[in-house]
Amino acid sequence: MFGWTGTILRVNLTKGKVSREATDVKLAHDYIGARGLGVRIISDEVDPKADALGPDNKLIFAPGPLTGTFAPSAGRFDVITKGPLNGVIAASNSGGSFGPELKYAGYDALIIEGKAAKPSYLWIKDDEVEIRDAAAIWGHTTPDTTDLVRAATDEDAKVACIGPAGEKLALLANIMNEMFRAAGRTGVGAVMGSKNLKAVAVYGNGAVRVADPEAFKAAVMKSRQMIQAHPVGGAGLKAYGTDVLVNILNQIGSLPTRNYQDGYFPTADKVGGESLAAKQLIRPKGCFSCIISCGRVTKVDNPAYQGAGEGPEYETAWSFGPDCGIDDLDAVTKANFLCNEYGIDTISLGSTIACAMELFERGVITAKDTDGVQLTFGNTAAMVEMTRKACTGEGFGAKLAQGSYRLAESYGHPEYSMTCKKQEMPAYDPRGVQGIGLNYATGNRGGCHVRGYTIAVEVLGGAGGMDPRVTEGKPGLDILFQNLTAALDSSGACLFSTFGIGGPELAEMLSAATGVEYSLEEFLKIGERIWNAERLWNLKVGFTAADDTLPERLLKDPIKTGPAKGMVNRLDEMLPGYYQERGWDESGVPTKAKLKELALV
Amino acid sequence: MDVQYFATFRDLAGERARRIDEPPATVGELLQALAGRYGAAFRRAVFDGERLSPIAIILVNGRNVHFTGGLDTPLAPDDQVSIFPMVAGG
Repeated sequence: MFGWTGTILRVNLTKGKVSREATDVKLAHDYIGARGLGVRIISDEVDPKADALGPDNKLIFAPGPLTGTFAPSAGRFDVITKGPLNGVIAASNSGGSFGPELKYAGYDALIIEGKAAKPSYLWIKDDEVEIRDAAAIWGHTTPDTTDLVRAATDEDAKVACIGPAGEKLALLANIMNEMFRAAGRTGVGAVMGSKNLKAVAVYGNGAVRVADPEAFKAAVMKSRQMIQAHPVGGAGLKAYGTDVLVNILNQIGSLPTRNYQDGYFPTADKVGGESLAAKQLIRPKGCFSCIISCGRVTKVDNPAYQGAGEGPEYETAWSFGPDCGIDDLDAVTKANFLCNEYGIDTISLGSTIACAMELFERGVITAKDTDGVQLTFGNTAAMVEMTRKACTGEGFGAKLAQGSYRLAESYGHPEYSMTCKKQEMPAYDPRGVQGIGLNYATGNRGGCHVRGYTIAVEVLGGAGGMDPRVTEGKPGLDILFQNLTAALDSSGACLFSTFGIGGPELAEMLSAATGVEYSLEEFLKIGERIWNAERLWNLKVGFTAADDTLPERLLKDPIKTGPAKGMVNRLDEMLPGYYQERGWDESGVPTKAKLKELALV
Repeated sequence: MDVQYFATFRDLAGERARRIDEPPATVGELLQALAGRYGAAFRRAVFDGERLSPIAIILVNGRNVHFTGGLDTPLAPDDQVSIFPMVAGG
């Protein structure tokens, strides 16, 4: 095989057994790799009713066939498992260098089964695999864990690990790699913690072979030039990072504010990318093979929130910033640093704190519940304190670390949890941007922007964009983005390469790398297949069309101030057309004809 | 009328915002006036020849002018204009 390594590594932690198997060629062709391959394996090998934190769940680290090549930004991998936050197949995507290293060690996927008897970590060096005692690193933050594991294995090893949040099975726990990259959402870190697995360290001496080196090189150079020439891929993201979005979302009146109570935050500029560049940025940083360099190496000198690390990204700056009524960038960045160190999802935690703030201001909870903290919107010190407590799992923080849905429901008010399918929505108010609302509602993993980023067209599209305020055409837009992203995620490329290239270029590079002829139509069809496979799992878990919705606030309560004042999301105008265009029945169930077309029966 | 600049436009304009006491009638006229003030680099960022640049994002009261008439979008004295380069994130 080319692009793929041809080998899957399987580690059973219960039995302490390591085995290898050949990558199924047909599965690889039909699902590509990474997210797609992981979705297929989880669908085939895990009971949808299994306890996500039990030994029968499996945890998969999977790069794609492009991962580790010099295709632009081709450093991605996915962590795939039954997500404990909401039961979906969590496929959480990350960058850095871990994915390429797993390919160089010789693997298309690492499948982890069972549960170790005591805290353990994996050390993979090519075909040597050890399950090692993690007693000395259990309890450590992710940076300390990374340093300790490298010292015990190889200083050039790439390390993916959980922090204390994952050890404590926090449903918002993530997996960090290279200290600052995150497989962030849906609680994948809790699954790793439930297996008593602290870290995976990998080092590889191999390489990725491509089928047609000349064609691959030509396709890659063309794609690199297209990205370089694009205003965003070539310059904008490097200058300001993703946090540049704060101001534009605010200026269109769709920056969710104070737990989505409003869509406009007058002092938003203080936490935007321009302020970040001026006050905290040391330098941009890119992942493996990346020319975009959206990453931020940052530091905070303010003694109250002193620290250094990477980030914040836009969603993080939003969740701890305007969503909590806060405009103190130092505090926001500190919260970001804490989440990275302790291994917790910044989007969900910030949104959960915002939910708690609303519960507090409405009198549903009091200082007695919140360990004496006046948890009100705009209380910067309270936000940072609650972030710290959630990270360490102490006091009220332990409840926060389980997410806003369980928090709000436990106090009898689930309506204040800004979630879809129990996962917190990110930083785009769908009352002002109709299509992203449809994406949130129909998202297979719940509240999520990246898997159907219609914002690129509805807000950032320039002359080629679509009006964010209309619903016409949005079902087709969402479906296109969802299918394309599923295929892209599975290839190992980075979503941000689409600031420059599109499906044709991705299919071209994939074909030259693997030797399998992927047309654009086939590439998108694979994405559709993956999306439908995820949907089938969700139906088996118990999700129904009733779950394809938004919080009532977004359907009924208009935005109060700003340019989108008076608007709600008109999901009912879009959802029926979405089901129809997807080839699903009126209950959102894929028809037999559609499943046959996608070879899912 | 308030005109606000974001991202690279802050560098191109050399300021974050400008109040315009007697706003022109249309977005096109406003951009011409601003280009005259800020220079060639600003002009290239907002115009593509005689047309609105496809990669500039000009908002009037939060609405992208690509959907409201482009350069012919009318302006009123109380309007808020926001000027962005093409940006992205996630």
